[in-house]
Amino acid sequence: MIDKIKNFYNEHHILVLRIGIALLLFVPPLVKATVVKSNYFMDIIVRILFYIIFASSLNVINGYSGQFNIGHAGFMLIGSYTGALLSTKLGLSFWLCLPIAGIFTAFMGLLVALPTLKLKGIYLAIVTMGFSEIIRLITLNWTGLTGGPLGVKNIPQVQLFGLKTSSPMVYYYIALVVAVLCLYCTYKVINSRIGRAWMSIREDSSAAQSLGVEIRKYKALNFMYGAFWAGVGGALMAPYYRFLSSDMFVTDEGFNVLAMVILGGQGTLAGPVVGAVMVNTITEVFRFASEYRLVVYAILIIIMMWCRPQGLVGASNSILAGGQKKKTKKHTKENDGKGMVV
Amino acid sequence: MYIIQQLMNGICQGSIYALMAIGYALIFGVVGLVTFTYGEVIMLGSFSAFYYFIIFGDNLLFALICGFISAAVVGILVHKVCYERFLNAPRYISLICTIGMSMFLKNLAIIVFGSTMKGLPRFFEDKNIVFMEKVVNGNITRVSMTYLQLMVLCTVVVLAISLSLFLNKTKMGMRLRAVSQDRKAAALVGINVKRTTLLGNCIGCGLGGVAGILLGLYYNSVIPTMGGVAGLKAFSSVVIGGLSNITGAALGGLSIGIIENMGIAFIPNGSGYRDVFAFAFLVIVLSIMPEGLFAKRGNKV
Repeated sequence: MIDKIKNFYNEHHILVLRIGIALLLFVPPLVKATVVKSNYFMDIIVRILFYIIFASSLNVINGYSGQFNIGHAGFMLIGSYTGALLSTKLGLSFWLCLPIAGIFTAFMGLLVALPTLKLKGIYLAIVTMGFSEIIRLITLNWTGLTGGPLGVKNIPQVQLFGLKTSSPMVYYYIALVVAVLCLYCTYKVINSRIGRAWMSIREDSSAAQSLGVEIRKYKALNFMYGAFWAGVGGALMAPYYRFLSSDMFVTDEGFNVLAMVILGGQGTLAGPVVGAVMVNTITEVFRFASEYRLVVYAILIIIMMWCRPQGLVGASNSILAGGQKKKTKKHTKENDGKGMVV
Repeated sequence: MYIIQQLMNGICQGSIYALMAIGYALIFGVVGLVTFTYGEVIMLGSFSAFYYFIIFGDNLLFALICGFISAAVVGILVHKVCYERFLNAPRYISLICTIGMSMFLKNLAIIVFGSTMKGLPRFFEDKNIVFMEKVVNGNITRVSMTYLQLMVLCTVVVLAISLSLFLNKTKMGMRLRAVSQDRKAAALVGINVKRTTLLGNCIGCGLGGVAGILLGLYYNSVIPTMGGVAGLKAFSSVVIGGLSNITGAALGGLSIGIIENMGIAFIPNGSGYRDVFAFAFLVIVLSIMPEGLFAKRGNKV
């Protein structure tokens, strides 16, 4: 069925996109106004949009260039704290904070990428994770700057046309614009020379190198691009919640975003979107189960890996999927003896 | 004096990390896949000891054995769910599976055991052996080691030696090493690869369980969320030691323990940054030596 949907999309993608954008613009507010009548519904949708940004930024790193970043929470933390601190302490406007937070996070991404360019697979994974924990603990302990365990409180609301706003309805449109922008940029980058270089590194880095792709440069660029959008997403999130603390960015949060990417299908543009929608919907649906919610979520991840490891929209013939026997064999054979290559 | 004392504390704590790392390296060597469930195995081991103390009273040796067995049973479960189907699939699949399993076990543990911190009984009542004593300006500074630390150190050394004997002297151990070196070749010479993998995984998890008990005793408390950081440190030690090299993993664990305690000793207000030292050490080591400190080419386990 998923393949049918894909075929339909390939044939009529402009129409589908137009309808999709129209639906996104009008349906949630309408549903909210007529059916649900609570801010809670919009709240979930805004959160989904945040996670779409986070998941797509992680997808650029994990899915397209085949690096393995499991510490994405670290970048999210840097972005949101940068945005929050700039607006709280320096009084910068939200619209200025957004790109600054993105650029600063991209710079941090470069700092992580530079010493780790030689690393791959599991070595890179553990370094990104260590980085995420280091950042979180520094944030937790640097009381002077970040408020330490108390977190950052009273983050100023967004000013839109001179009006302060934190209502989910207005925020929905802001987040929607940023999320669509993020997806559009990613789409453009992926289909450019840079994106093709990333994918060639993913498929076979030695072949890419012999064809003249500067692996180090493109890997660093890849990390920076992913970190940039994580930072923007973080800075977007901070004024909405109006409160930040380092517990919001524990390693499990990084795993959560990673799970969205993989459940949706890594290496596809739509994958992280589907993953973010699915994971958030499921965790909301199972809210009645209160503490069992995360248990259900965990079981779901395991079931997904058993049944459809390439993710919901992942192509069944992708090299990342276990689906095709031939490619899988080749894939594992190459890795034999070299230790862990994720 | 202070430095020597901190070094000693570091060695004791490092020995716990070393035991975790040994277990992790054994699993990684035999299964060939990275696991994030290990922290939860450690946590479950320590909780099994907690309940053992409640039900059967304070018997340390049996508690350790009980921890080993229960962690090994968890190991079987993890093996069935996360590894068995994915031994030849792309590795990220089983990795995500272990992440899912870790979330599952952790949240189930929070529900079953409660999310609060629980105390373990104190052993040896803070008795200690004094190695050096010096009076400076009327203040006594001493280098000492509590009986608890001594017990931890002895347990780790005994387990490490017996594991090394097991791996090198018994047939079963040789099979384990063979599988970790080359699965296909091992299958060709008639080793039951599946069963051996399962066994290696169980022993590794069991060692993790024992390490969890020692960790619980060292801090006098157990909590369902203790697994995360512990598992990460075990993982870091193994990576520092050069993946699936057991001696290297043990040394990696020791060095992480020492670095942590030294960092706390030298940097003011350092105790909040304890884990930062460990992970910063990891990042520095890997950026200088991308394959870990003690990587030997083609020599696994």
